[in-house]
Amino acid sequence: MVKVFIYPSNSLILSDLVDRFGHEPLAMMQEIGKKIRTAGLDSPPINITPEDPKLGLKYAAVEVPSGVRGRMSLLGPLLEEAEAGIIVREPDIAFGCMGCARTNELINFLVRAKKVPLLELDYPNTEDEAKIFVHKIREFLDGLSGAQSGKGDE
Amino acid sequence: MNDDNDIISKMIVLHSTFTLPSDLVIKIYESKADITVKETCFGLIIEGKRSEVNRVAREIRNLDPNRIFIKERGVPPGSSNRCRASQGGGAKPGFHQHEVEFALLPYFTEALDEIERGEMPEIKDVTPPHLTIEKFKDIIEKEVKESE
Amino acid sequence: MAKENLVKIAQLSCGSEYSGIQKEIETAAAMVDAEIIFPEITIDDVKAVEESFGLQVASPDLKLMMARAQALVDGKTNADAVLIATCFRCAEAALVRNEMRRYIHENSKFPVISYSFTERTTAATLLTRLEALTTTARRRSLLAREHQEGLTAGIDSGSTTTKAVIMQDDKVIGTGWVPTVKVMESATEALNNAMKEAGITRDEIQALGVTGYGRFLIGDEFKADLIQEEITVNSKGAVYLAGHQKGQATVIDIGGMDNKAISVQDGIPGMFTMGGICAGASGRFLEMTSKRLGVDITELGALAVKGMQEHVEMNSYCIVFGIQSLVNSLAKGSVPEDVAAAACYSVVEQVFEQQLQEVEVKEPLIMVGGSSLIEGIPKAMHDLLNIEVTVPPYAQYIGAVGAALLASGFINK
Repeated sequence: MVKVFIYPSNSLILSDLVDRFGHEPLAMMQEIGKKIRTAGLDSPPINITPEDPKLGLKYAAVEVPSGVRGRMSLLGPLLEEAEAGIIVREPDIAFGCMGCARTNELINFLVRAKKVPLLELDYPNTEDEAKIFVHKIREFLDGLSGAQSGKGDE
Repeated sequence: MNDDNDIISKMIVLHSTFTLPSDLVIKIYESKADITVKETCFGLIIEGKRSEVNRVAREIRNLDPNRIFIKERGVPPGSSNRCRASQGGGAKPGFHQHEVEFALLPYFTEALDEIERGEMPEIKDVTPPHLTIEKFKDIIEKEVKESE
Repeated sequence: MAKENLVKIAQLSCGSEYSGIQKEIETAAAMVDAEIIFPEITIDDVKAVEESFGLQVASPDLKLMMARAQALVDGKTNADAVLIATCFRCAEAALVRNEMRRYIHENSKFPVISYSFTERTTAATLLTRLEALTTTARRRSLLAREHQEGLTAGIDSGSTTTKAVIMQDDKVIGTGWVPTVKVMESATEALNNAMKEAGITRDEIQALGVTGYGRFLIGDEFKADLIQEEITVNSKGAVYLAGHQKGQATVIDIGGMDNKAISVQDGIPGMFTMGGICAGASGRFLEMTSKRLGVDITELGALAVKGMQEHVEMNSYCIVFGIQSLVNSLAKGSVPEDVAAAACYSVVEQVFEQQLQEVEVKEPLIMVGGSSLIEGIPKAMHDLLNIEVTVPPYAQYIGAVGAALLASGFINK
């Protein structure tokens, strides 16, 4: 099983496909979940505190807006864990934690710079494109070592 | 890094004409899993220990594999942190992302059905190559000549 | 403070949750009896907004922000005021922030305030802004007032000086100006001086307005009709005295200890910055300079106008090191005129660098506050920005005049 960084990180379909085809998706939701469940943090709605953008300085300088650094403090550690990546180019679905174009540029770069196995593809808009999308992802995931296709969720 | 005893939530998204969220809930109760379940308009949110949530999610998906999609969710079910009622109304950004992806799910189902049947679509590069500048120049000259 | 009507503030923002400051926004709102709400929209609204509005941006959350602005303007949201907030140093967000502010202002009745935040933004930083915003929402009719009527008084209890004016039928008939020593005593003295000059007694004053950082204390003690933060009051006072009550304007107030740069639309503040971190950008720097030059502060301006700041090399804006540069240049033979000009330019340049970066500069630029009377200051501002700078009469009494003007709305109430 390989840890696969997905972009957009909060995508249902990417998370599902990676899991379905036997690997572990690395997604923002798990990081937000940890934040929200940390006792003692009181910074609703998602418990990111002013300390987090400071932790993001590891990935972007102080001249980079705080919203980018706050997001990087969550995404950066995931990127460090990544053993493979799937990037969807120009998705028109990237809201919320993926809502900042500058953050997205940076994380796409950092995934590419990691030189791990990487699949880049366009987001589907039609039935045919969606089929190709799923097949390409499956092919890519099957090619990663330790794939356990069809098991999922292990 | 992930501890099996971590508490996590998963969002189970269902788009099916013959399986209903309530069917899934019954299945979960039958499995006697120690998890919390919340029915939503798109399916369910379940919460519990990671190992349990993963086990239940797998069982649920097996009910209708190509029509049930699952992802982890940061916010626990019913959390006031993300609830419109307690957070000033208006959908939060993640909801809009969900709306867009939900609309595309039938396409993915179709693709997964194909894989199940062992069919492979013809994968061709859908983006046409860029027009060369020479070709573009020819077209302009031709069009200008015709319009004169 | 008495509990006031709940004001619903629609938040249009990008990045506040990920900067960790959403709670700060909501805390500040609660302090001024306001509630933050988010306009309801659909994904189709988001997809359509770029085309209908015509501003195409890369960040999806900014598109969301534009769609929410449109929902507000279209009357689909039950709100009383709008807060627009995006990350500081994000160029894309700054474009959207400014255009949304203009769009909402031109197409709706909502008061708007915009702000660019960092992770260091606290509820305390936001408080004055939200106080100004909720005031505008609650007191729209009061702020629409363009004339001072009857016999009213205004007191501005500032950190360095306390100012008072008596006004009658759009005329200032008495003024008082004293250094702030003890808040209450200084306010009493300033008011007494103003009443003496006007030749009136306390009983004759029909309404009293107070502002400035000592406003709550003196407001309670004097039973003022209006107790209001200085952003709203000074904006109103500035456009009133400058005879520019309609349209856009920029108000710059260089005070004794802190500065304000306010972008104003029809006399109502839209976006503003408040300084106060560095004494090198304050009236205190000019006081120090005049002491070194051996002239009275009132003479510094005339001196500066005759000088050339380029002749003096200043290595720092700092009230310690910058003054040292001035002293060194005097020792090297610089003339006092050039040194005075350099001091004025230094203060203005720092106001520009620290404060005007976050505020749109719209003509006319109205300079107020005690430092605006030092002629070198408006001249340096004119030289730096290459725009017309207006210093209205009674510029040093701006807060007191604004308070007296607004207070006349309370006569017979």
